[in-house]
Amino acid sequence: MAKTVLAVHDLKTQFFTREGVVKAVDGVSFELDAGETLGIVGESGSGKSVTALSIMRLVPRPGRIVNGYVKLKDQDLTKLTEAEMQEVRGESIAMIFQDPMTSLNPVFRVGWQVAEPLVVHAEKKRPSALRDGVAMLKKVGIPNPDQRAKDFPHQFSGGMRQRAMIAMGLTTMPSVLIADEPTTALDVTIQAQILELLRDVNREFGTATILITHNLGVVAGMCQRVLVMYAGRIVESGPTEDVFAHPQHPYTWSLLKSIPRLDADRHEPLRPISGIPPDLLDVPPGCAFHPRCTFRVDRCSRDVPQLQRVGETQLAACWVTQAGTNLNA
Amino acid sequence: MISPIPLEGEVAVEPVERGRPGKSYWQESWERLRLNRLGIAAGLVLVFFILVAITSPILAALFTHTDYRTIDLANTFARPLSAGHILGTDDLGRDELTRLLFGAQVSMGIGFLSVFVALTVGATVGLVAGFYGGLIDGLLMRFVDMILAIPAIFLFILMALLFKPNAITLALIIASVGWGSIARLVRGEVLSVRTRDFMVATKALGASDLRLIGRHLLPNVLHVLIVYGSLYLGQVILIEAALDFLGLGITPPTPSWGNMLTNSETFFFHSSWLVVWPGITIFLSVLAANLFGNALRDAFDPRLR
Repeated sequence: MAKTVLAVHDLKTQFFTREGVVKAVDGVSFELDAGETLGIVGESGSGKSVTALSIMRLVPRPGRIVNGYVKLKDQDLTKLTEAEMQEVRGESIAMIFQDPMTSLNPVFRVGWQVAEPLVVHAEKKRPSALRDGVAMLKKVGIPNPDQRAKDFPHQFSGGMRQRAMIAMGLTTMPSVLIADEPTTALDVTIQAQILELLRDVNREFGTATILITHNLGVVAGMCQRVLVMYAGRIVESGPTEDVFAHPQHPYTWSLLKSIPRLDADRHEPLRPISGIPPDLLDVPPGCAFHPRCTFRVDRCSRDVPQLQRVGETQLAACWVTQAGTNLNA
Repeated sequence: MISPIPLEGEVAVEPVERGRPGKSYWQESWERLRLNRLGIAAGLVLVFFILVAITSPILAALFTHTDYRTIDLANTFARPLSAGHILGTDDLGRDELTRLLFGAQVSMGIGFLSVFVALTVGATVGLVAGFYGGLIDGLLMRFVDMILAIPAIFLFILMALLFKPNAITLALIIASVGWGSIARLVRGEVLSVRTRDFMVATKALGASDLRLIGRHLLPNVLHVLIVYGSLYLGQVILIEAALDFLGLGITPPTPSWGNMLTNSETFFFHSSWLVVWPGITIFLSVLAANLFGNALRDAFDPRLR
């Protein structure tokens, strides 16, 4: 078994708004092994991004981590001072954001920005940092990196910018890379290139990667393990293949039924999930998914199910499957 | 199995287009500014006044061969273009051109010092307030509101009476009010830049607050400072002239455009040129500062045109 680099335990992040407390992340626990790619899927507002921001301790106000810990190797990140946390950010954990169009500072040359983590963390002088930055731009597949490093972000296409963002994240050789919907803002062909790059990076540098996405196809192609989130909680987790082959939570099951698959019966209609995601200010009692669930039983609206082993390799938080019902029959 | 997005195999690299090297925001703005003839002319007028201010002792020695204090009671109220006095002389027979040259030192010196101080303080307050928000923002901005709520001219008069004004205290007195509106402007700009993704992305790579503010936020609001600095220069020249005119600024015998006006108003009917010359220099320098400021704004943000 590979070594665990990042362990998140019972993480709770809440936003204290005028209207009430939003439990954006509500007791999330998972581990990330060295060199692995872990997928986190869920719809908008399910807490994927806030989980990532909590790990980086970048939760915007009025949000706060109220419980749990995030352990990077042996260091509890939730206990570090802000100054110590600055050392971790970019040095041990790097993060790539959704929209490469706005994630680069428009007034600086790309090379300058890619080199910045080295200037901040390795205390390198600008010229030598710049050389390393150019080398990294080359590694992420930017043609003519010497020249392109002198360009400004607006001269880069979306795909190129995301490559530059990845280069920026990798210059310090972090042990964990968090990619928050890295391909959502890109068109499909560029998406494939960026994912290919992330895969190469994972292989070449052994960087453990957390890939946050709402695209199940991306997870299938990239991740060894997957977490499915709903309303701030993990509802199912397990090896990607097993989760996709026989989901053990009705939410995962419905998600898979709602998207077209090459291997599905051509005459079987796609089934959308009825209803809307819950209002996080007013989450339904019991299992948050029960109002939209086709398998629900009485207990679902009373008690909150915990994540438990269902099947050989998977964990699911569902009273129905925990009682032995097979969703896939 | 769900079908994964095909990732295998060679993916075509995006086409390489290699034209001219990248131009920075500043280079592009400069190119737009260069095409604005009126703006460039205004800039040159400003540069002219600055050079005059710096070299006024030399110019006086070379061309007017006199000092701004040299009194010649035998030759008072000499008309312009009279022998040895291109712009004439005043009520004490002092050469008008020489006094204007030295007056430029006062106007430009106080102007630039005041703009520099107001920009530095205003930008710092605006950056800090906008970046941190919350209580810090509230306190700083309410303080700014307070300062800007008091009619400026009363503040100037009060302070000019409290502190014996010389060129430096006068510049500081004017800047002590001017920084408020700069802080407001910068804060507003920071609020919009702060929420952009690259600020979070930069924080995520481990940048300290100081670095975020100084290296990333400041360059993104610098254009506001440059434009407002130029427009504010015009205001400062006017305020300074007004204080001189009221006798609260630079006092004779040191010449300033403002006190030259005060001095000559009583002779307006028989020696109107004594009012016209300092009037023209004030008018020209303020107009140039304003036109140049507008040109800068158009150059930095062509959408505003």
